[in-house]
Amino acid sequence: MAEVQRHWWRWVLGFAILLVVATAPAWLLLESEQRTLASVFMFVVLAQGWNLIGGFAGYPSFGNVVFFGLGGYTTAVLMVKAGAGFWITLPAAAVVGVGFAALMGIPILRLRGHYFAVATLGVAEGMREVVINTGGLTGGNRGLTIPAVGADATTSYPGNTGFYYLFLVLALGAMVLVWGVARSRFGYALRAISQDEDAAAAAGINTTRAKIAAFALAGLLTSLAGAIYAFQQVSIYPDRLFSVDITVLMVVMAVFGGAGTVIGPMVGAVILQYLSEWLRDNLTDYHTFVFGGIIVLAVLVMPMGLVNFTRDAWKQRRISLLAATRKYRL
Amino acid sequence: MTAVLETRGLSRKFGGVAAVSDVSLSVAAGEVLGVIGPNGAGKSTLINLITGHLKPSTGRVVIDGQDVTGRKPWVIAKTRVARTFQIVKPFRNLTVRENVAIGSMYGPERAGSAPEAIGQADEALDRVGLSEKADLTPGDLSVADARRLELAKALAMKPRLLLLDEVMAGLRPSEIEPALDLIRSLRDQGVTVLVVEHVMKAIMAVSDEVLVMHEGSELTRGEPDEVVKDERVVEAYLGKRYAERHA
Amino acid sequence: MTEFLQATVYGLLDGGLLALFAIGFSLVWGVMNIVNLAHGALVVTGAYVAWKLNTAMGLDPYLGMFVAAAALFAGGYLVQRLLINQVVNAPIWMTLLLTFGLDLLIVNGLILLFSADFRSIRSGIGSNSLALGDVRVPYERLAGFGIAVAVTLLLVWFMNHTRTGLAIRTTGMDRAAARLMGVSVRHVYALTFGIAAALAGMAGAVLGTINTFSPASAPQFTLQSFVIAVLGGLGNMWGALAGGIMLGLVQAWGGQYLSGTLINAIAFGVLVLVLIVKPSGLVGRPFYEARAEA
Repeated sequence: MAEVQRHWWRWVLGFAILLVVATAPAWLLLESEQRTLASVFMFVVLAQGWNLIGGFAGYPSFGNVVFFGLGGYTTAVLMVKAGAGFWITLPAAAVVGVGFAALMGIPILRLRGHYFAVATLGVAEGMREVVINTGGLTGGNRGLTIPAVGADATTSYPGNTGFYYLFLVLALGAMVLVWGVARSRFGYALRAISQDEDAAAAAGINTTRAKIAAFALAGLLTSLAGAIYAFQQVSIYPDRLFSVDITVLMVVMAVFGGAGTVIGPMVGAVILQYLSEWLRDNLTDYHTFVFGGIIVLAVLVMPMGLVNFTRDAWKQRRISLLAATRKYRL
Repeated sequence: MTAVLETRGLSRKFGGVAAVSDVSLSVAAGEVLGVIGPNGAGKSTLINLITGHLKPSTGRVVIDGQDVTGRKPWVIAKTRVARTFQIVKPFRNLTVRENVAIGSMYGPERAGSAPEAIGQADEALDRVGLSEKADLTPGDLSVADARRLELAKALAMKPRLLLLDEVMAGLRPSEIEPALDLIRSLRDQGVTVLVVEHVMKAIMAVSDEVLVMHEGSELTRGEPDEVVKDERVVEAYLGKRYAERHA
Repeated sequence: MTEFLQATVYGLLDGGLLALFAIGFSLVWGVMNIVNLAHGALVVTGAYVAWKLNTAMGLDPYLGMFVAAAALFAGGYLVQRLLINQVVNAPIWMTLLLTFGLDLLIVNGLILLFSADFRSIRSGIGSNSLALGDVRVPYERLAGFGIAVAVTLLLVWFMNHTRTGLAIRTTGMDRAAARLMGVSVRHVYALTFGIAAALAGMAGAVLGTINTFSPASAPQFTLQSFVIAVLGGLGNMWGALAGGIMLGLVQAWGGQYLSGTLINAIAFGVLVLVLIVKPSGLVGRPFYEARAEA
């Protein structure tokens, strides 16, 4: 037992060091670099959220953006219509995200595979339309603008540095959460469910509850990220906050890095977000085209994700580009 | 003494076809009930009905005097019921040891934490002879070892009632005897066992009582020696050749 | 009343075209368990092939659609054989990701080649209409509907009465068994994807005569195919036709009577409801794997 505790302290220390290393650059960075890093951190959170339901539990959600949008709109509506302060809207966004995940999860988590993917996609697209058509509350297609400066501002605008820290803290929280899940009985239950639900149930795992819990945790992380994002953007629109592209990005990042691993989604988010920014700056016309090519290549060369790929290469002391693919080819 | 497992008029229909119809059985503590029958006789469906993986159309399932009909599999598992699957269902993304540990993580005697459960897994691995392969993943196991893993996962739950769905299928004759010894030693510890098996000799050697199923219902039931002599059984399941050989 | 009839006629005719979008998507999903996120991009590619042939050589789109179908069949066959077959057995999000990457490649490739402008194709029929009382039936839409129904009939016949069709269906039901019977699964998968791409290309060419299109239209076509495949049941060709007409009617009536995009919200609501209540689709056979037993 003492050994376990020492282990635990080592991790806390590790994260503390990470925190210092990550926050130190805030004073050294340009504002634009802070903005880029803030978006990297945001995608770490989103990818980890997807990782819990898609990577660990094996339920490939294609509608996680619904939590992002709901979180963002909770914050925006409360700040605009109710004059609430930003800090009060954060827990509210979390409650909405978790609550919606649980409610939606009850019927939808009975579906498997592609059916689950389509259903989640349908819920997200449908929710966007609902937001568009409830203009009285949400401003419809014209969106909402949060008062960020002047007398109307309920909370002073944190600026680039402020959002850098907000997303950093949330990303660290997400990492710690997933790290904890991976080592807990709950994490093992999710991994068992991803392989065989009947066998998991026979082993005594309440599969319904575990799946809903994983979905709710994904809802929690994603809605918090959405809430902070809404305030950061000031003006929000349904097409932006419920964009299917955001869902796709979280899946791509988590899978690129390694779905079902702790650090994979972080690695994926960092690499792909930087890559995407670099392509945007250097290959303006071609950047999406090249990005598509990179995704295709990544899937073919390392379908198990970068983290697993690197681990296998390290173990076997050789890099075998198509080894993993051979396992999955027809 | 009350029966550990009892079913009353258990039936299940799939789109009008009765996979199991009106099966009533009762197994006392520390007894081994063998269930045999040709393919499609409803043996696996019977196990699925008992463990809650399927809901019965009619009838009751009583475990240790408690009616558990229609309960979810994980609820039934908590009443110390463990099972294996005919088509092995390993968790391919976990090591062999972690596979087994799942049973003690969520079984009736929950381990305090995941690492604790993983530490306890060796006992069950030892019993089935998989200790040396504990760190492999299920994909690297042979057919026989995959069946052993299936059994170890069930044992890790420390069951009072164990339902075995063809754990000996695909084993070589030399591998069957250790498996039978294991079932006997479990019985001697007071575990009640229901064995569904195709390997005839095996089931006769280990069962206290044998239930013969045919087209979903009970054909006959009795001690192994009597059952083998029953003419209906011979015709329905064993075929004439077996009867002649053992006449 | 006239308005209602007019909307009904448009919905019915457009529904046929929607079915032609979806039928290949449904086939690929049903046979290979692959959700092809690049399907809409294939439709748009077909439209551009017909448009280019029309503007450069004056070829009528009703002939151009055969060229589009042939070109997309070849391309589709190669994509499946060389790329998708490599990860067919990976977790499903990998195939989703791969086809998403292909979608980005195709859509942005088309933008680079043809710009993001909206285009349309002029057919020989012109924009005349058949008048049924007060209700107008544009000839181009009628032709599109006719092609959709004819292609569906042809495909049903092909799947049921040819060796290749039988091989595709067998492979879809049980890959291992098909292999034992001597079917080359790699080839059959590539053929299936090729056929789906050919139908998408043809649909795109027909679409170009009725509506405007641009590379950015692709996701919408993929989404519509999704909805129709689910409504109709996977791999079910009659189901795709029924699902397409259903969606066409709902869209037309909704556009007539509901404000804004509320109709989309209803369509997605119906989609999710159908999935939860009857995942086999409204007209489909039961598809057991869709749902957990417990």
